[in-house]
This record gives sequence, structure tokens and C-alpha cells, in this order.
Amino acid sequence: MINPAVIQAELKGPGALALRPASQVMDLERLGSLHQSRLSFMRTLVRRIMRERWKIEAVRLELDNDGYGTVVYRIQTPTCLYSFVLFSSYLAPEDRNDRVIATQWDLTMALCEGEVDEAYVEQLRQNVPKQEAGRVDARVFVLSRANRSARNFDYVVDQLASGAQPDLKRISQVGYLYRTTAVYGSGKLGMADWQKVAARHSDFARPFAAEMFTCFMLRNFSLTQVEHIAKARAPEQAVAMQPQIKRYFGIGNSTGLGMAPYLINHPLLISRWIEMRELALARIRAFGVPGTERLARFRTLAARAHQHTVEIVTEDAWQTGKNQQVIEDLAALKSHLAGQPLRDWNSLIAWAEQHCSLQGQEMVNSILLEVYPDLVDELEDYTCVGEHQDLAPGMSVSELKALIEERYRWALDIDFSAPRATETFWYRSQEKQEPRLGGSELDCGRAKQMPLGIGLRVVQCYQGLCDYAAQHPEHSCAYFLFLKPEYRGIVRRIQSLRHSLYGDIQANLLDQDVLPMHLLRCKLAFFGVSKFDPRSRLWVRNTMFQGAPLLDDIGQPFDDDWFLPLTPAIDTEDAR
Amino acid sequence: MRISLNELNATLKRSFEGMNYFVGTYEDAAQMVSWLEMHGEQGFGELERALAYVNDEDKAPVELLFEDASSAIVDCHGRSALNSLALVLDLAHAKALKAGIATLKVQHCHNRKFILKLLADCGRRGISMMAYWQNGTQPATEHVASISAGEQYPRYSEAVLKADCSPLEKQTMTLICSDRVNIAAQLMSSPNDRVSCRSVEPATFAATGLATLESGIEISEALWQTFNQLGEKVLVENTEASRQGAGGR
Repeated sequence: MINPAVIQAELKGPGALALRPASQVMDLERLGSLHQSRLSFMRTLVRRIMRERWKIEAVRLELDNDGYGTVVYRIQTPTCLYSFVLFSSYLAPEDRNDRVIATQWDLTMALCEGEVDEAYVEQLRQNVPKQEAGRVDARVFVLSRANRSARNFDYVVDQLASGAQPDLKRISQVGYLYRTTAVYGSGKLGMADWQKVAARHSDFARPFAAEMFTCFMLRNFSLTQVEHIAKARAPEQAVAMQPQIKRYFGIGNSTGLGMAPYLINHPLLISRWIEMRELALARIRAFGVPGTERLARFRTLAARAHQHTVEIVTEDAWQTGKNQQVIEDLAALKSHLAGQPLRDWNSLIAWAEQHCSLQGQEMVNSILLEVYPDLVDELEDYTCVGEHQDLAPGMSVSELKALIEERYRWALDIDFSAPRATETFWYRSQEKQEPRLGGSELDCGRAKQMPLGIGLRVVQCYQGLCDYAAQHPEHSCAYFLFLKPEYRGIVRRIQSLRHSLYGDIQANLLDQDVLPMHLLRCKLAFFGVSKFDPRSRLWVRNTMFQGAPLLDDIGQPFDDDWFLPLTPAIDTEDAR
Repeated sequence: MRISLNELNATLKRSFEGMNYFVGTYEDAAQMVSWLEMHGEQGFGELERALAYVNDEDKAPVELLFEDASSAIVDCHGRSALNSLALVLDLAHAKALKAGIATLKVQHCHNRKFILKLLADCGRRGISMMAYWQNGTQPATEHVASISAGEQYPRYSEAVLKADCSPLEKQTMTLICSDRVNIAAQLMSSPNDRVSCRSVEPATFAATGLATLESGIEISEALWQTFNQLGEKVLVENTEASRQGAGGR
């Protein structure tokens, strides 16, 4: 493992590599243009599973002919034992709802510490299907639920039962059998706190590793279940799904606003994720040479990215336009690479910044990360960070003022007196505490808004600080906050982030035209999802683990090459 | 029932936010309560006894009455430690950075035991701090807590005083803070005016905290409901219009 001091030296100090500036990286639209990469959490999890050859087996598979029942998987890693418990129940079509306010689901599941006995499974059965209305204990790491894809599930069962494979054209429209609508961890509903998981279970001691694993297991169960139902329906005629088609099935995900506040409330963690991604890129820029093999790999992946983007299906006009731009960007990239020899990757990145859309630029960066696993993969061990925000009470008010002017120029330049600048507010509803957006159409709630308007809070603090500093320039922040305790939170945030390269998203999240979709997509890209399908500006469907190895692939040769998967060629008699 | 630390902090944050604690303060207050409970020092009991005082919107702001280079007197005007002590410790910290060591006298401050979490923060930030206070009348108790720079957990001693002993000053606290001297304070073992004395070492706090994380935090359903009800003030009524802001646009 690389010495952490090396990473620190690469990030800061006289020998630091040239990372992109926060003004560029933390722009909201650019964050909303990120794609999955080698450092995405699904990728790092799958690498670990495959390299450590986790042993995963169904020790209880009690499903009736319609696929309803109880399933328990036993997961043995090199260090620990876990259980994945899943309950499958009938759900009337009219009760199927992706929103957080739903109360029933097709599947509910829990990832647990250790072995589960019958009594514990019963205890889970009394609570897991209820989700937010139930309670679990600190043996549970993750709680989740999923609904069948109305477009795919029955169709795939019918096909397999009739002895046929699913039509890949149809599957490429929607690449999953189930869609998760919530994946809870980190102590919610009585579950184990992150501190426990991180301290005692190194298998899941990376951000969202347990949550991603739950989705990975769900995806594998969904494939088992359709085959089970098909076989029960037509024992003589049903066929198993071909492995390459199985791998093309991911797991759907439906994400709403609940994910957005996380990015604002965990600035040190988000900064660390972005630092590692940017450091990976900076390493490639500094040390990468576009020799024959690397360049050939880049071209192959760029062509794959082009085809992958062509295969994305969304009804959303905005996303369709963005995808079309990426397709054009990648076509232009191909011409550019054909036209002249490439001296270094910096010139390619500069070309992309001049000629490509933001999503196109970030696609080029994700592909570059893919070309250099030797420079990138070791950074996956540094995506965690202590999240203590500590005030620096001895800092003088003049220093604090200068710090704000240096790091928050983007906020000071916003005219918050403009009528549209504070039109939007973020709040929690009484309904399951669901985060929502409000505007002038909502006559109540503004007074109860969440403090997510960081730019506005910085500006308000700065104005108070300027008045105070004019009178007491030698005073420390402790005195300023004694008089103005309302700024304690924002001052602590500003001071805590001064040692981080990134952290605050440089946008006015209160603006009338703010697009929460960018926040959702940013976090989902770090998770490793693809095929974004916005359903409004407030929620998005996407696909997880498409192309990933299957449980049967564990222990087999693995080249970690499931980045931007393509529709596979089906093995049929016609094709042969 | 058992809850997680994360749930507890999130719920208490909403509770204190609902009492109009400032951003930055309500997070501190939540963690001050959960730290005590998690480390075996009855944070819930302390909070239940203090509920009448913690909603202190009507109280005057914390006031600096006097200071010189290395000392100060601060009046919390009857506020809870949850809504005042973090500011005071920051002042002590800032003064110690300049003077090497600083002494602060805190007046009219309730629920001072909650300082233990703030002391843990001081140690992590490289500051040594000691707090001494007396409390109550029947029976009166006295307390000292301290932490060395770089440590994660404080040392805490509590003694029950004999019936004829009553604190000279009520609701006060003495703080000594330094970035140069490690202050390791402990009540003396058996002075004549004490009925009993107990001490908690940093290692005990660490072990208790780990054990709590392992199995979760036990809380009565009634108290959990109380905390949740306090937090409901920050939630917005569910209406058809508000549902539009959750994805229906």
C-alpha cells in the first residue's frame, strides 16, 4: 500500500501535482456532468470481492412458484462472515411506488453481521418488510427495498419459461429487473453506526461499501428469481439465462432529493472523494505517456463510450440533448486522435476543454482513469476522512475575512438581493421527513428551511465580519462569535475546509433555477451508476452494476473491464 | 428500545433546532448529550432533568463581564451549557493560545456536566483543559474533568458532599485551559467533607463508547417520542403543494 505521506505530498506543498482548481471542479454543472470511474464505489467493491474471492452462497432459498418467500445468503470474506436476508412478497401493481412515502414493496432486504438463526430471521421478518415503520438492531448494516420493473420482470420470466432468451433490444431500453427505491445504512432505523462498521469490518470500511454490496446482492438475486419462476412455470421448457445476458442486467435505482443534502452536509468527505479523483487525473497528466498500448486502450474505450452513450434510452429531452452532445464530442475526439500524433495527455485534456461539452470533458477524464489502473487504483484506500469540523478560535477576524475572500469569491460575487436569488428553499416534510424543495408557490416552510444555502450564509457572515473587523481587526474569531453566535456554524465550516482542496459546491442552491439533478448525478457518479434517466428536475432513474461480474464469476479470471458496458451479442442458433 | 448514535444525533439536532438554537450550536448540543449517554454518564437523565432550562430563547446572550490577558469572567445568564459552553470554551482556547494558560470563571450556567464532550474535542484539537464545578444542595456534589492535549477521552471525578456542605457559588464553573501545560485534574481521594467519590479514567470512557457502538443505545420509547416531538417543529406540514417539491414538478 502506498504511504499516505506520498499522497499528502502530491496534494499539497512544493512537490504537489497540478490539480484542477476548485473554481473549475466544484462548479455545479460540472459536478453534474461526472461519470462513473475506476474509483467509483461499485468498481472498488467489485475489485475487492473478486480479488479476495468472497464465498457467497444461498443457504436458504425458500421461494414458491411465483418467487415469493425468504432467502438467506451467507457471505464469507477473508476476515468476516455476513448474512444477506431477503423477503419477497406479493405487491399489487397499484401499490408499486418509487417514492420514499411508499409503504409496501416487492422485495425488502437486510445485510447483517454474522450468521442468522431462525429466531433472528423471524425478528427481521417482523421489521424489514416495514422499512421505515420497523426497527432493526446494530447487527444490521443496511436495509433496502426494491420494486419489480413493470417493463421487464414479467417479460423476462415469460421468455425464459418459453425457452427463449430475453430480447436484448428490449433489455437495452431498461437494463434491470428490479429498481431500488431506498438503501439505508449508517445507523438509520437502529442499524449499526458507520463508526462500528468502519472500525470492526474492514470489508465495508469504505464509503457506502455496504450499501453498494446490498445492491450487488439484490441484482444477483433478481437473476436467480426470474429463472426460478420460469422453471416453476414450465419445468420442461424453461431455460437458464445466458451468462453474458445476465451480466448485462444491472439493478435499477430511483434517487430523489434525499441524496442532495448529503453533499452539502459532508463537505470534508466530498472534498476527499473529489481530491482522490482529481489526484488520479493529475497523476496521469504528470506521469502518463500516451505510448502505443495506452493510446490503443484509450481509443478502444472512447469507442465503447460512444456506443454506450448511443445505447442510453431516456425520455427526458434535457438528458437526451446532453447525451447527444457526448456522442458528438466522442466522434470529434476520434477525428482529433486520427488527425495528429498525441504528445501528452495534457494536450488532449486541453483540446477536450476547448471542444467538448462538460459531460464530454468528464467522459474523457473517466476514460483516462480507466487507462491507468496502476496510477489510480491505490487511491481507493483514501476515500475516507475524519469529518470533525473544528473551529479555529484563535484565528484573527482579519485572517478569516481574507480566507473568505480567497475561498468564497464565488459566493461574494452572487447578488443575493436579486429576487430570484433566494426563491428556492430546502426543507423537510412531516411526511417521513422527506427533503423537498419549496418556492413562492408554497406559503409555509421558508422559516423552517434547512441551512443548505452555503453561499448566502457565507455572505451574511462576511458582512457581519467586515463590520466587526473594522472596529476590532486584532480580535480573534472567538470574540466575534461571542457577539454573533449565529455565525458559529458557518465560520467553523469555512475554517475546517481551509485545509481541503475542494469541499463546497460553488453555486447558489437557493436560486430559482437551481437544478438539483446535478447534485444527484454527482453523488451517483461517485457510486458508479450509469444511464441517467431524469424523471423531473428532482429525481432520476439510473442503473447500477450493469456489466458487473456475477456470483458465479467469483474465483474466475477477472480483468475489471466492465466500465460503460455495451449490449452483448447473444449466443443464438441464428447468430451461429 | 435501542437506537443508533446517528439516529440519536439526528433527532436531537432537530430537537435543538426546533428550540431555535443556532446552526453550529444545535449540532454541538446534540453531540454533548449523546456523548454522555454513549459513555455511560446518563446523558438522557441529564437532559430530562434539564428540559426546563434548555429551551432558553428568552435568556440574555452569553456575556463577557471581565477579562485581562489570561483570565475572564463570563455570565451565561441562566442558559444551559448546551447553548452556551461551546462559545465559552472557544474563548478560553483563544486566550490560552495567546497567554499560554487561561483561567475562566463561568457564572449562571446550567447542566454543566455536558462539558465532557467539549473537553474531548479540546484534547483532539491539541488543547488541555480542566473544568471544576459544584452542583445541587441535597446532596451537593462536586465535579472535575480534564483532558490532556492529543487525548481523545477526558478523566472525570465526581464526589457527593456531606449534608452540611453546600456550594458557595451555584451554577458556576472554573475552567483552566492551556496549549503548553497538560492539566490532569482529579478530586482528592478522601477529604473530610465527602460522602463518596468516583473517578472515570479515559480508558473506561473509551471502552464504554465502543461497547455502546456495538449494541446501540438503550432509550425508553417515551423519551424517544419526546425527542422526536421536540424536533417536529422543524418539519413542514405535508400538503398537495409541498408534494410538488418532491418530484412532481
